[in-house]
Amino acid sequence: MQGYGDGGDELAQLLSTMHAIEAACSSIQMHVNPAAAEATILALSQSHHPYKTCQFILENSKVANARFQAAGAVRDAAIREWGFLSSDDRRNLISFCLCFALQHADSHESYVQAKVSSVAAQLIKRGWLDFSADEKEQFFYQIKQATLGTHGLNVQFIGIGIMEYLISEFSPSTSSAMGLPKEFHEQCRRSLELDYLKVFYGWARDASLNVSRKIAGSDSESLEVKVCNAGMCLMLQILTWEFRYNHNGTKSINIFSAGVRNDNVLNNKTECILVQPGPAWHDILISSGDIVWLLNLYAVLRQKFSIERSWIDCPIAVSARKLIVQFCSVTGTIFPSANGSQENYLVQLLSGIILWVEPIDAISKEIESGKSESELLDGCRALLAMATVTTPAVFNSLLKSIRPFGTLTLLSTLMGGVIKVLFSHNNEEETWSWEARDILLDIWTTLLAPLDSSGSGISFPPEGAAAAAHLFDLIVNSELKAASASVYNDDSDSDYLQPSISAMDERLSSYALIARASMDVTVPFLARLFAERVSHLHQGKGISDPTETLEELCSLLLIIGHVLADEGEGETPLIPDSVKRNFSDILEPDKHPVILLSSIIIRFAEQSLDPGLRTSFFSPRLMEAVIWFLSRWSATYLLTREEFNNKNDGSLPGSRHQLQSQDSTKTVAIYFSEYNYGKLVLDAVVRISIITFTAYPGENYLQGLACHQLLHALVRQKNICVHLVALESWRELSNAFANEKMLFMLNASHQRSLAQTLVLSASGLGNSEAANQYVRDVMGHMTKYLVDVSSRNDIRSISEQPDTILSITCLLERLRGAARASEPRTQKSIYEMGLSVLNAILVLLEVYKDESSVVYLLLKFVVVWVDAQITYLEATETATIIGFCMRLLQLYSSHNIGKISLSFSSSLLNDAKTEKYKDLRALLQLLSALCFKDLVDFSSDSIETQGTNVSQVVFYGLHIVTPLISLELLKYPKLCHDYFSLLSHMLEVYPEMVGQLNTEAFSHVMDTLNFGIHHQDSEVVNMCLRALKALASYQYKETAAGKVGLGSHASDPRNPNGGTENRIFGRFLRELLQFLLFEDYSPDLVGSAADALFPLILCEQSLYQMLGNELIERQANPTFRLRLTTALQFLTSANQLTSMLDRVNYQRFRKNLTNFLIEVRGFLQTK
Amino acid sequence: MSDEEHHFESKADAGASKTYPQQAGTIRKNGYIVIKNRPCKVVEVSTSKTGKHGHAKCHFVGIDIFNGKKLEDIVPSSHNCDVPHVTRTDYQLIDISEDGFVSLLTENGSTKDDLKLPTDESLLSQIKDGFAEGKDLVVSVMCSMGEEQICALKDIGPK
Repeated sequence: MQGYGDGGDELAQLLSTMHAIEAACSSIQMHVNPAAAEATILALSQSHHPYKTCQFILENSKVANARFQAAGAVRDAAIREWGFLSSDDRRNLISFCLCFALQHADSHESYVQAKVSSVAAQLIKRGWLDFSADEKEQFFYQIKQATLGTHGLNVQFIGIGIMEYLISEFSPSTSSAMGLPKEFHEQCRRSLELDYLKVFYGWARDASLNVSRKIAGSDSESLEVKVCNAGMCLMLQILTWEFRYNHNGTKSINIFSAGVRNDNVLNNKTECILVQPGPAWHDILISSGDIVWLLNLYAVLRQKFSIERSWIDCPIAVSARKLIVQFCSVTGTIFPSANGSQENYLVQLLSGIILWVEPIDAISKEIESGKSESELLDGCRALLAMATVTTPAVFNSLLKSIRPFGTLTLLSTLMGGVIKVLFSHNNEEETWSWEARDILLDIWTTLLAPLDSSGSGISFPPEGAAAAAHLFDLIVNSELKAASASVYNDDSDSDYLQPSISAMDERLSSYALIARASMDVTVPFLARLFAERVSHLHQGKGISDPTETLEELCSLLLIIGHVLADEGEGETPLIPDSVKRNFSDILEPDKHPVILLSSIIIRFAEQSLDPGLRTSFFSPRLMEAVIWFLSRWSATYLLTREEFNNKNDGSLPGSRHQLQSQDSTKTVAIYFSEYNYGKLVLDAVVRISIITFTAYPGENYLQGLACHQLLHALVRQKNICVHLVALESWRELSNAFANEKMLFMLNASHQRSLAQTLVLSASGLGNSEAANQYVRDVMGHMTKYLVDVSSRNDIRSISEQPDTILSITCLLERLRGAARASEPRTQKSIYEMGLSVLNAILVLLEVYKDESSVVYLLLKFVVVWVDAQITYLEATETATIIGFCMRLLQLYSSHNIGKISLSFSSSLLNDAKTEKYKDLRALLQLLSALCFKDLVDFSSDSIETQGTNVSQVVFYGLHIVTPLISLELLKYPKLCHDYFSLLSHMLEVYPEMVGQLNTEAFSHVMDTLNFGIHHQDSEVVNMCLRALKALASYQYKETAAGKVGLGSHASDPRNPNGGTENRIFGRFLRELLQFLLFEDYSPDLVGSAADALFPLILCEQSLYQMLGNELIERQANPTFRLRLTTALQFLTSANQLTSMLDRVNYQRFRKNLTNFLIEVRGFLQTK
Repeated sequence: MSDEEHHFESKADAGASKTYPQQAGTIRKNGYIVIKNRPCKVVEVSTSKTGKHGHAKCHFVGIDIFNGKKLEDIVPSSHNCDVPHVTRTDYQLIDISEDGFVSLLTENGSTKDDLKLPTDESLLSQIKDGFAEGKDLVVSVMCSMGEEQICALKDIGPK
């Protein structure tokens, strides 16, 4: 660089700075006064034009750390002062860094070179849009020469390093912050992808190719190997680039999605990112024959290093394999369509990869004796990538040109081998076989899942079905072996079924997919296994310990449940397509494998009704499995309506023959329909559920399954309810529930669910009179008990007895369950039920004011009941409820305001706080439910006729509740959600009431709104924006009409005379603009933000003008300034926007705001 | 917190039984339970099984309602546990004596003078300060299995 000898003074200056920095670096290393040392270094990077000094240090210092810090200082200063540097200075800085890195390539402190390289890369990016193509060419010429090895291996290595830094700088997710608009980063990315990435790839390829020739003769530590490895890493890095501009066309830059990956990654556990570089890359990736070279290289490596065991995990082998896997994921328009070029390409790859995974038994033996498993795992990953980019048929045929069998057979053998090893290890987690099994299952899922869901279009090759059947056999047998072995494991986690189901669920659904690929084999196979286990159980009765068989049965039930039926996920699951398709030739139900399998299990489940068999076989855990299976199975098969839905010909009630002859795919559905065995099975299911309540005392989990899953799922379907209410067993259940003490022994939440279930089943009754009577019969005793207890004179003394608390708790839970089951048909009786206990509730609230758990239940019941009823009520009924809620609120607040509790234990105090929070949430929900009356009202007359004003109650409630809600409490997400939904709702419906709030409450509401706008949850933000919109548009309309609107509230209550600065709407306008322009948020919010912003602008037009001007003045860059000015103009004038607050204008403004944000956010937001 | 500071003599009980049996499986979090002969509030219930195919058992963690000590118990879920009868009575505070006892006004007009002030700093100062300022204070007294303690305070009068 320039000479330093202009004057002795300058040299002395430079030397002294260098020594200071060196001293600082060594004192940091020795932890002597690090703060002062850091300050010294910071001073260097913050000083004005420190480049000369830094260059001096870099070239002359003997302390590597000092050179490192000097490089960092160059970067910091240059990024900061870039705008003031002349273009020569800029170029010189970059050249200096490049030359320095390359010239000192053989230095031992490689981290200094790495730092300098990264500084060079960052500076190149910083100037990217300013440099001319020639200038860039100059830099790249230097790098290219280095990369291609003209200056020796060390330089080559550094050259490749610089490229790596460049590419990671240009990729938005890994780029360093420069304080520049996001648009800048996006433009750099685009330019690199379109103009340079392919060129870089070529250099990287050539570099690796050249040195790879010499690798055969060198050892694994040699420089050639190091360079070759670096080259491959660079290739891999380029192939993992997120290609966006691969469609020739020029997409506009969408600033909202910038930086967010949105490729169609499958929901696999193993990540498989597709590489879709587009047609331009065909010559360099596909027709260049790179993969041949790469596979050969790996083959050479294999041969060469096979003497050393650890070679598989040496860096070059790892990156070669990673690169090969990445090549397997190449897909998309890069392959010319329909000439099989992708298949040929994949076959080529497969021919190399197959050596990694075949023969699996020999390989797994080697791994067990200490060989590394990474090659096998990478082989599996490569197969996964191939499965992701092909259809099952193509995937299967890939191997056929190399082997006498298809890829699916290979896959099946491979997995068989892995599973053998896996289960011989007794289910230890985190072993290699575990990981391999997961990847292989993902491959099966990838291949089979589309087949299972659509059922058409894609076909599965017959060879695959055979392979799947074979594999399934192996899987089930291994699972059973593992199950019986696990019996004596004292692993308390797996004692309950649910944890084991959810842990196994992903695996089980993959198993199910495999089984469904060849149902004709697997279903009879499962039936045989199950029958064997059951007969084994009976033979050994009283002789041998059945535990192992029980565990095997549990396992089988889980597997069969997954094979036969899908999880409904809240919807009614259909009979799987593969069940219908596979057995279409079987018309006789007694030969249909699915019917046979189901019947075996149902018959087995019925044995639990026999007390003797129950005590000997049906352990709680087996019962859990049975109930789980029954609920999953019956949701899909029992009395299903799907088969009959489209029939309007009235032939339904006809004979069985007629039905059977119609369509063989419906055999199963018809067999378990109401015309055949459906009702019998339903009866059995109900009886089995009752048994779990009566014969398994204290088995909460089992009873929960029966209540929440099995019975609850049954009553969700009306066609099942019709049959349920006709069953003797169902009547027994509802009788026992209404009248007998025994069911009080159930867990209270189970009782709630049971009450809900029973009331819901009333929808199966013919008319509304019968349904209401049914509800009265079930619930009548309970309300009577509550009324009796609450009217006793000694209520105070008996209320605190534990048995009274228990019965009252249970009854309240039951009432709440019943209220939750409100339907139009039973609305009347449920209203009466609640009405009869209203007084009792107020009494109990008084009596139990110190028993917070009872208070909570009381509130919860009222919430659910009001919520379910309010929309149906007539005016007088509404008035009653409103009056009641008023008294409830008053009573609650009189108990709780000003109360201080004490406890010796902080955890009890915390519990008390949590309970308070739950109470508050319940109250908020109650207020929301009341508000709802003004929105949806099915009653015959308007409530105003009774002079009831819902808004008054709600605002009274808000006055009570808001002092209890602190910003601290709003950190509870659920409470926060409820609070803001109530708030937005109220402000939307009753904006005029806001003016009547007292100052304290009003400012509290505004503070919380302000808090909500900055919340992370976009739902909460959305509600706040809606509230703001309502308030601002109310204010605008009122003031436009010459009224006061919010009156004095419109100015900040804490500073009423503060002028524009302190006006409420001004404050929100400022906040909202800041939020929209500079913060990160979900694009979904733009619509509601526009709705809030529009009236705010109208309310505060002069402030808006001022804010706009401020924004424009802050922009230093004249181009951006112009763009911002135009965009701001368009925002308020485009699309014939007028200052009317009507729907059309809101729509227009939404459009304008979206365009505005797309235009300006790119340069306003910086990184 | 040590429990040595609290020596409560058994007070005259209203004759009601001190505990009630209840099936272990029905006892919920926030309910009461007797563990090692102490009345506790349940802060944690978990269930496990005696072996894979055995029966459920409940594991309770309770906190002694008087001294805040943590106690644990494991009971088969179909068996009965003892649940203490816990009562709370509100009294108006009429005097605080020098030796740390309080004087409370009962519902029938007589006074109750056998309770000590609580040891908890914040509640203690709230009571003392409030009383000194002449506020109308109501204290809640929790009573179970023969022990009594002041557990809450409420200001009902004008400031």
